[in-house]
Amino acid sequence: MIWQQLANGISVGSVYALISLGLTMVYGILRILHVAHAGIYTLGAYVGLLSFRLVDNFWLSLFAGMVGAAVAGYLVERFLYTPILHLSRIAPLIASIGLFTAMEEAFRIVAGPHTLVYNARVGLGDLAIGSFRLTETQVLILLVSFLILLFLWLFLTRSRMGLAMRACALDLETASSFGVNVSAIIAMNFIIGSLMAGAAGVLIGVYDNQVWPTMGSIPAYKALAIVVLGGLGSIPGTVLASIIVGLSETFFIGVLSIPFPRDAVAFIAMILVLMFRPYGLLGKA
Amino acid sequence: MTLLQVISLSKDFAGLHALESVSFSAERGKILGIIGPNGAGKTTLFNIISGIYLPTAGEILFQGKKILRMKAHRISHLGIGRTFQIVRPLNNLDVETNVLVAYGHRIYPSLWKSVRACRQREALQEVRGIMERTGLKAYSGTLAGNLPLGFKKRLEIARALALQPKLLLLDEPSGGLRYEESFQLMELIRMLRDQGIGILLIEHNMQVVMDLCERIVVLDHGIKIAEGVPEEIRSNPQVIEAYLGRETQHA
Amino acid sequence: MSGYVVTILITIAIYAILAHSLNIITGHAGQISLGHAAFFGIGAYTAALFYTKAGLSFWIDVPLAALVAGVVGAVLGIPCLRVRDDFLAITTMGIGFVVEAVFLYIPFFGGAMGIGGIDLPMWAGREMTKSEYLILILVVLGTLYALDYILGRSWIGLAWSSIREDEQAASALGVDIVRFKVMAFILGSALAGLAGAFYAHFLTFIMPYNFGFGQSIMILCMVVFGGIGTRWGPIVGALLLGLLPEISRPIMEYRTLLYGLLLVAMMRFQPSGLLGADSFLVVYFTKGLNRIRGGEVKA
Repeated sequence: MIWQQLANGISVGSVYALISLGLTMVYGILRILHVAHAGIYTLGAYVGLLSFRLVDNFWLSLFAGMVGAAVAGYLVERFLYTPILHLSRIAPLIASIGLFTAMEEAFRIVAGPHTLVYNARVGLGDLAIGSFRLTETQVLILLVSFLILLFLWLFLTRSRMGLAMRACALDLETASSFGVNVSAIIAMNFIIGSLMAGAAGVLIGVYDNQVWPTMGSIPAYKALAIVVLGGLGSIPGTVLASIIVGLSETFFIGVLSIPFPRDAVAFIAMILVLMFRPYGLLGKA
Repeated sequence: MTLLQVISLSKDFAGLHALESVSFSAERGKILGIIGPNGAGKTTLFNIISGIYLPTAGEILFQGKKILRMKAHRISHLGIGRTFQIVRPLNNLDVETNVLVAYGHRIYPSLWKSVRACRQREALQEVRGIMERTGLKAYSGTLAGNLPLGFKKRLEIARALALQPKLLLLDEPSGGLRYEESFQLMELIRMLRDQGIGILLIEHNMQVVMDLCERIVVLDHGIKIAEGVPEEIRSNPQVIEAYLGRETQHA
Repeated sequence: MSGYVVTILITIAIYAILAHSLNIITGHAGQISLGHAAFFGIGAYTAALFYTKAGLSFWIDVPLAALVAGVVGAVLGIPCLRVRDDFLAITTMGIGFVVEAVFLYIPFFGGAMGIGGIDLPMWAGREMTKSEYLILILVVLGTLYALDYILGRSWIGLAWSSIREDEQAASALGVDIVRFKVMAFILGSALAGLAGAFYAHFLTFIMPYNFGFGQSIMILCMVVFGGIGTRWGPIVGALLLGLLPEISRPIMEYRTLLYGLLLVAMMRFQPSGLLGADSFLVVYFTKGLNRIRGGEVKA
């Protein structure tokens, strides 16, 4: 029973991590709260669903969703954020909120207000060891998020560009003075973050077996709470916070069966942690 | 008279020792130079004294009073004014208003006084006096963001003066300035010293430091490697090795 | 004036108070609140409950609404304003969702049906007409503007603008930034609560959906549109966004889309708003004025 909840919690948490990492990376480098990231997540789900209907292959649709999200993320960075970075820090945030609102509305108008079914046959099958069961979609989520996180870790620690990216997150000016191509790094940040958000959108679409225009509303805010919880800009902190939130949501509702709005858990965890650790779990002053 | 005592101050940033057990003291009416190569921990030291960072260990006494855990604005109220190495004017406010913000430090603690109009005669008189002393009078209505760099540096000092400081922390006031500009600025600093203000001066230009300072503290990689009068520093082999040597290599 | 016009004007005047209250937080002190509708809602629900359940009169429940919204603002604002500026944006967004959920799920607040039976205030022994209510709200709005003028010239206004420009520098200049930010947040929340109380008595029934995230975005839109931090910006924003649905009903379907795109376009091309310093309107107007005066035209 406990193992079962643990598995559920971790799979929910891994999706949170996929969404939140993009936010934390963008914040780490540009100090922007990229609220529209949740719109990119929803876009990933829609692109995935559309391509699934066209080609009827889940893995191709996952790939398409990720690429679609990455393209959108890049465009947002290039044509919205970069031109207004020199303004006060409020400007990108307001633009981001506006974009997120507009994206949700655009999804509603284009794809219709109702939910669309994303009934993909993944071809992995359920996993059962005794009474312990993982559904096919849980296996999928765990597998895909593990692979993506592994790639991210290898990229950040082993590749030249990953190192440059971490240098930029520490201090943009210094990195630039050492000859790092800052604008390429910023673009890469958005692309990688959006790839992950797109994957999360597709995974959730399949997990819940539906895609709908406002599916990003709760993640928009929950991912922000997770990012703050982990310590704004800290990548390991974000992963840790995602898992913690995923687990506590599952345990609160599944084990203790407290009648409590699930989506408020992240918010309350954030407030509690902020009281004792103002800079989040792994954040620095 | 001892104004400021810094006692075995240490600061780590993610395992990096920015400062290691640094001690010195500063006096009224004296200029204490703080020198050292880039990354020696000079600005970190200022950020700790002015309350932006908390140190990992150590103690700071200002007029015998512990100030370590105080917030930045409380420290400025006690009479420690600072300038920033990279100037931070309030860009969209004019020069006079910039100075007025600092003048307000004696008003802000009282809610009742804070609701009153800020441009009263008394305040403006003092602010204009400060602008005259710092050579900013002609620019009083200019937006701070539009000032030439030399005058932004003056504005930094003018704002610090409006705090009625007993101690001034000047972080590279002459950095990026032309020779005449920096010469005028040094005259200003001398004048302030003669009025009895204690001054901590971070400065890269060795000529300026040697001319201006009564005593000098040398930092290298967060460690104090020397302290003394300019002649001693000039002839200290460790300093030449750590600082002047490298400087000539660069030049 | 026809009843229709009065109704629209009342809505606009209440929006103006609301936009003005956010302008104190975002425009003057430079802090972002993404859940401002929550405080608008807290005010509306407080007034509604005191009026319908405790039987208090309008004249008492309105100040109480402002007080409650202000206190909630203090309790929620102080912890996040103590840390760093970005946290306020995130927590207020969360507060918005939580407050809406509380109104929706807790039976005491009437659930999805909301609270009805809130009347217009009594005046001289009878219920006010809509026109009289409009005048009352305009008087309040006028008072707010007088208050804004006084605060703008005061040391508080000065401290706020220094925080908006550069928090760290302001702090080194002796400004207690936390205290002044909290002050702006409490004042803004209380005034939003005041607007909420007026709104409740005007609508006569309120529902959770009146105070959701979309509403918060609309308030932000009004402030941004008119010009963040300008004195008349909130009124211009309230006027434009209040009239928009009236001018063109078919737009209603796309209203939220339009708000979103407007925010993006404003930030991208006209970040200082319609009344801000480098807005095309202001630039043209000053040029025209200078031409009339025969003076030099500034580049």
